[in-house]
Amino acid sequence: MQQPNQQKGIFASILHDDRGGKIFLSVLAVVVVLVSTLNLFVPESAALHVSTYTVTLLGKYLSFALLAIALDLVWGYCGILSLGHGAFFALGGYAMGMYLMRQIGDRGVYGNAELPDFMVFLNWSELPWYWYGFDQFWFAILMVVLAPGLLAFIFGWLTFRSRVTGVYLSILTQALTFALLLAFFRNEMGFGGNNGLTDFKDILGFNLQENSTRVSLFIITALALALGYLVSRYIVTSKLGRVVVAIRDAEDRARFIGYRVEYYKLWVFVFSAILAGIAGALYVPQVGIINPGEFSPLNSIELVVWVAVGGRATLYGAVIGAILVNYSKTFLTGALPEVWLFALGGLFILVTLYLPKGIIGLIEQIKKRKSAAQS
Amino acid sequence: MKTLDKLRETMRRDRVFDFVAEGRYPFSQQGRHTVVPGQLDASHGTILYMENVTVEFDGFKALNELTLYIDDGELRCIIGPNGAGKTTMMDVITGKTKLDTGTAYFGQSMDLTRMTEYDIASAGIGRKFQKPTVFPEHSVFNNLELAMQTDKRVWQSLIAKLNGEQLDHIDQVMNTIGLTEQRHNRAALLSHGQKQWLEIGMLLMQNPRLLLIDEPVAGMTHQEMDKTAELLLSLEGKHSIVVVEHDMDFVRSIARKVTVLHEGSVLAEGNMDKVQNDARVIEVYLGE
Amino acid sequence: MLQTTQKTQIKVFDTFVANNKKLFHKHPAGNLTVVFLSFFILIFCSLFTPSFAEDKQSNDNSAFAYAVNALNAKSFKAKADAIKIFETINNKQTINTLKALLESRLFYRKSDQLIVITTESENGYHITDAITENKLGEVGKRDIKKIRVNNKLRKQLRGTIAQLSLSNEDTDIRLNAVSEITKILNQDTIDLLRNALEKEKNDAVNELIHLALALWDINSADKNIRLKAISLLGDSLSQEARSKLSKLLDKAEDGTFLLEDAEIRNAAKKALTHIDSQLDFYALIEKIFFGLSLGSVLLLAAIGLAITFGVMGVINMAHGELIMIGAYTTYVVQLLMPDNIALSIFVAIPAAFIVSGLFGIAIERSVIRHLYGRPLETLLATFGVSLVLQQLVRSIFSPLNRSVETPAWMSGSLEINAALSLTYNRLYIVLFSLIVFFALLLILKKTTLGLKVRAVSQNRAMAKAMGTRVEWVDALTFGLGSGIAGVAGVALSQLTNVGPNLGQAYIIDSFMVVVFGGVGNLWGTLVGAMSLGVINKFLEPWAGAVLAKILVLVLIILFIQKRPRGLFPQKGRAAEN
Repeated sequence: MQQPNQQKGIFASILHDDRGGKIFLSVLAVVVVLVSTLNLFVPESAALHVSTYTVTLLGKYLSFALLAIALDLVWGYCGILSLGHGAFFALGGYAMGMYLMRQIGDRGVYGNAELPDFMVFLNWSELPWYWYGFDQFWFAILMVVLAPGLLAFIFGWLTFRSRVTGVYLSILTQALTFALLLAFFRNEMGFGGNNGLTDFKDILGFNLQENSTRVSLFIITALALALGYLVSRYIVTSKLGRVVVAIRDAEDRARFIGYRVEYYKLWVFVFSAILAGIAGALYVPQVGIINPGEFSPLNSIELVVWVAVGGRATLYGAVIGAILVNYSKTFLTGALPEVWLFALGGLFILVTLYLPKGIIGLIEQIKKRKSAAQS
Repeated sequence: MKTLDKLRETMRRDRVFDFVAEGRYPFSQQGRHTVVPGQLDASHGTILYMENVTVEFDGFKALNELTLYIDDGELRCIIGPNGAGKTTMMDVITGKTKLDTGTAYFGQSMDLTRMTEYDIASAGIGRKFQKPTVFPEHSVFNNLELAMQTDKRVWQSLIAKLNGEQLDHIDQVMNTIGLTEQRHNRAALLSHGQKQWLEIGMLLMQNPRLLLIDEPVAGMTHQEMDKTAELLLSLEGKHSIVVVEHDMDFVRSIARKVTVLHEGSVLAEGNMDKVQNDARVIEVYLGE
Repeated sequence: MLQTTQKTQIKVFDTFVANNKKLFHKHPAGNLTVVFLSFFILIFCSLFTPSFAEDKQSNDNSAFAYAVNALNAKSFKAKADAIKIFETINNKQTINTLKALLESRLFYRKSDQLIVITTESENGYHITDAITENKLGEVGKRDIKKIRVNNKLRKQLRGTIAQLSLSNEDTDIRLNAVSEITKILNQDTIDLLRNALEKEKNDAVNELIHLALALWDINSADKNIRLKAISLLGDSLSQEARSKLSKLLDKAEDGTFLLEDAEIRNAAKKALTHIDSQLDFYALIEKIFFGLSLGSVLLLAAIGLAITFGVMGVINMAHGELIMIGAYTTYVVQLLMPDNIALSIFVAIPAAFIVSGLFGIAIERSVIRHLYGRPLETLLATFGVSLVLQQLVRSIFSPLNRSVETPAWMSGSLEINAALSLTYNRLYIVLFSLIVFFALLLILKKTTLGLKVRAVSQNRAMAKAMGTRVEWVDALTFGLGSGIAGVAGVALSQLTNVGPNLGQAYIIDSFMVVVFGGVGNLWGTLVGAMSLGVINKFLEPWAGAVLAKILVLVLIILFIQKRPRGLFPQKGRAAEN
């Protein structure tokens, strides 16, 4: 397992009746160890060698899995169908992207030590104030947490307080990410406009093109995913988690018992947004680009289908869904690009109509039937 | 009127110098009663005051100058035909619906119109809905646990652990509502009657002073009904209880005092026999 | 009567031309012949015209044909004489011919010396017979030769054209002439205008002439005339009036006014403020109109959604794609009837309604029916449907945008005055959306279907118990909402490009309208759509289109703080669930 020893005590109790979680974490650990070894220590000519491309691809999937966990928290447990979680992911990604952009320094095309290339291109003479501090890694990490967290806090505070629920809320979250999409497309915003941020050189002094950096990023993403899973698991097994589920199923009852429903929702929403932001920050250095496309409503809603496919309110189901759907996406967009949208659309319909509990639900059903047949 | 209100407020015998009390709003604020959620004060023997309450939906008066007092520890039944305003009355008490005119006080010091649902619940008013509303995905135990009167803030919930006393309390209530055997079953699997009891049990966990119970025996079998009557009677005295019910047999079996609502105001009040022989009540129920 | 005379005229033309053609063929030295003939006919005309007044028309025609041919004379003098002949023949054709000459668009065909009016084309020129006005197709640059004019002739031509136009019977031509002349004011043209004013009866033309005269008089030496001109210009909205007036207030470099007379300056200042306030007012009206037309588009897009969302409680994320299908239906209808673009819209509207409606019913029967009471799942499933529909259209029609032609009757604009003109397509869309809105209102209020829809939406179980075929009503309601989306698509196809992403662009805005207006009330949708449209257009110049959109979103989020259920909420117990 990936966790340091002293944490095992707390986490052992978290995992104590979570069989799926145990399996998931063990598989994750095995995969990470195997893939890293096969990439770093097996020569490229060998049949067992895992290419750096594959490592990065897997790393990308893992950051998506973390994002899926974030959405599962709000949707699966709290019943808030957010169609704008891609926005938090992208904000985290942009915060990281800004740091990586500043790290380029004078190695850009225009060789300007202070300004990123696109600003030079736009004839800007100085760095906008909101770019200050992003040359410091700690500041960027702070922003990875703060930017999505703050947005989620403001948006959630306004909407939950006025008791906007259900589809209304979903539509508003979609509008939110759509508005951000439009905003980030503008060159004047100072985030690279249409092209976004790219051409990164290194992170904390390590070259991003280097094999070892790539593998390290992959391992860090896996660690973050495991940690994110455990923390989320702790939350949903705590009393807070039970209150949140109670709110999902009978909001009025929870309110009349004396829970401040809007605060609970807000807490989960903000936490989930921060998790999504971290996922975004892990995603950007691996794929090497962040652009406004990440804000597109389609991305956010695709993310919903990952969770739906895996199975809501299971956390590890979200991980399975994210990896499965993304693997098919990589495969299909490569092999049969025209089929992908048909497949995705069909997946939405199939899952909602026939698999409301996703793959995990299906597995449990089969198990139940088996045990019923045995007895 | 405003001056009069202010004067009354200043002259109140139970809290003479309200404006000097710690954490209170300045007494002249908005010229309204200035009492904010605080300690329940039922020293005069009355726990709920509703005076001249009117609620209007698009010109339709769901409540029309309703005036109603509930005594501390009393078990009161409220009956009335459909649309008489029973549910709206409960909505007003629990803060779900805002009243247009009139006053609603919990004890002598708590202005319900200025409290949120959350405040009202923590102040000690529990409500059971017409349709049984429990948390279907939680076990009976967890349902009761969530309802328990504890610190219900977010961060506290994150680290909350049950202590022995609280466990005993849960067991005790589970026993009262007769669901000990279902302890670990999901609430969704309970029968209709069991859900109703569970909901009452959840109210009990809150340790409320006032219980509002909307149609507790709708859809119950006779045995279940008897059991419910027993349960409610056993609570009398410890809590004030307001029961809204249609089933006359059930009302007869538990009622000491009955209030008849009609078109948003009180039509008659008294014991069951008196109410049943009231000419106007007969007219409303049976027609001319 | 009139028509038959025209026909005989044309016959006369033709014979005349035919004769001339023969003439030219027989005599290679055609030009000489023409000069000779021109003198002959000129004498002939001057002799006979007065005595045969009733034959004036036919004389005009032959004279016109003669004069046209005479324009191809070698000497400029002969050309000048030919132009003089035109002065006696006042009709549209004359003016067109002279204008063509002035603009160097009058040519003769090398093969037969036929005089033609040309318009440039890709490979050469489209030519039209100057006399018969028959279209003669396209020729290469080398097949025709320009009829040359010099500056003296040009001056003469301008005068003749102006004079002819000003005394033309057609009011439009006169109006046009005056505004043309206004651009080139000089002593000659002013005299022309003064003369024309004496004969002019039409108010609109009169007004325009007065304006032109005032533009001239503003620099007059006589102070009273000047002041009068200034006050007259103050009531006008034309750009020229404004610039002339502001010139009076020009300052020298040291800050002093160039114009010394303070009285005139003040009058000019006053007139300017008046013009500006008028312009502001009309700009405001125009902005509101733009807002309303945007609002109408939103209304069309949102109203179907209001039915499916408001009445049935079903979120249909594929609504935008149903709009897109309507737009593509318009495209297909135009492909099927390429010769009747003007009519195609009227075919497309019912066709789009049916096609989108059928798609809607299919979606309802196959997907939504299984998900009633689960709004979030419905949202996801219909989103899946929208992806499939988009890709379907991409596969069938290609991912590129298709252009739908706008019928002629929808292009152009309604000019209310110099400062305000409303384009017809926007105007029609405002009207159309209102028609659709009220038709829908009628359907829901007055028909059995409407009654059943309302019954089912209010109490499903009870409606079922009363013998209503609930499923049938569901399907039809959804079909109705979808059909209206299709109709919205027809309207949108007239405004934007038709492409697979057409629907996506409008879906979020439509939802905002429904959220803003409130669910379950069509009036809410109307008011919501119109106010969002107007707010958007008012924010746009101030914040830019993108920021305006963002601001509107923020405003909506803040708005639902105060009114969580929109502008027109449902109240009471029914709204609780």
